[in-house]
Amino acid sequence: MKFLIFILQFIFIYGFFFLGQLLCELFSIPLPGSIIGFMLMFAALSLKLFPLRFVESTATLLLSFLPLYFIPATVGVIEYFDVFAGKGFFLIAVVIISTLLTMAASGLTSQYLGRRIESRKEQE
Amino acid sequence: MMETILLALFFIIFTFAAYFLMNLLYIRFHYSFLMPALTATFVIVLFLLMTDTAYDTYMIGGQWIDSLLGPAVVALAIPLYKQRKLLFDNLVPVISGILVGVVIGMSTGLALAKLFGFSRTLLLSLLPKSITTPVSMEITEQLGGIPSLAAVFVMIAGFSGIIIGPAFMKMLHIKTPIGVGMGFGASAHGIGTAKALEYGAQEASVSSVAMSLSAVFGSFLAPLFVWIFYL
Repeated sequence: MKFLIFILQFIFIYGFFFLGQLLCELFSIPLPGSIIGFMLMFAALSLKLFPLRFVESTATLLLSFLPLYFIPATVGVIEYFDVFAGKGFFLIAVVIISTLLTMAASGLTSQYLGRRIESRKEQE
Repeated sequence: MMETILLALFFIIFTFAAYFLMNLLYIRFHYSFLMPALTATFVIVLFLLMTDTAYDTYMIGGQWIDSLLGPAVVALAIPLYKQRKLLFDNLVPVISGILVGVVIGMSTGLALAKLFGFSRTLLLSLLPKSITTPVSMEITEQLGGIPSLAAVFVMIAGFSGIIIGPAFMKMLHIKTPIGVGMGFGASAHGIGTAKALEYGAQEASVSSVAMSLSAVFGSFLAPLFVWIFYL
């Protein structure tokens, strides 16, 4: 019975992904089909078109193995080892520097705005 | 035909086994560099190199696991929906932080890589490095980059975020749950969110919201950055 529920919920979630892909191709939207599916799922839940429990258990199970699904694609780096040879080493430095800048910018922005809103609330 | 099915089965089971064994190792020792996404990939790459197996042969089985990525991205809407109260209560700081993060992440990545004179393909693969792997691979593919390289850059971003990030944020006096969660989620995606959990539940929730919404905003903005930088 549990397995049947899992299969049905999975097909349901897959349907959103399929719909996303379909819309993406039909209207040549320059977004990943999965992101369109993600937005549709969030919209459907927010509009309460169906209850959360319809998808919750399978979504949780699916997400608990998320790193597994991107292993096959990552293994593909085997065909691009030469990219990191010689000058390619700097690519790693670029990624590290840019990541830290991202962290500083987003962290400081959110912290500053969060504190400002808090203090304004306290004044009221 | 029979051989194809056997090969597919073998590589599916092999990938599962590598993932679960490496997961056990990670649970036992809990060092960041033992994260199964990294170690299992390493084990499989080593196996393919030692047995002189082509990547295409591995993908006869690998593609089946790969096909779960799309539905998994859709499933990310469920945790975001569960955290909608946190999102709507802090809408301005959260959305602003994510927008600033995506813009700074993509522009500095492109600018620096361009400065060093890297090829267009590499720039496109590096562009979505702060976005969770399944989405960043799709963004890169649509723009004409190499998804496998994107996955590697995303991993480097994640690890630099959690290894240097804690001391770096301390130095910058980022310490509120919203600031810390945003810093990890917007720059180091899922790996950062796992780290944010060590700080507290609120940090982890902010980080997970930041990760999901960075993926959405990043998908919209990535084509725009390509357009700006190549015009």
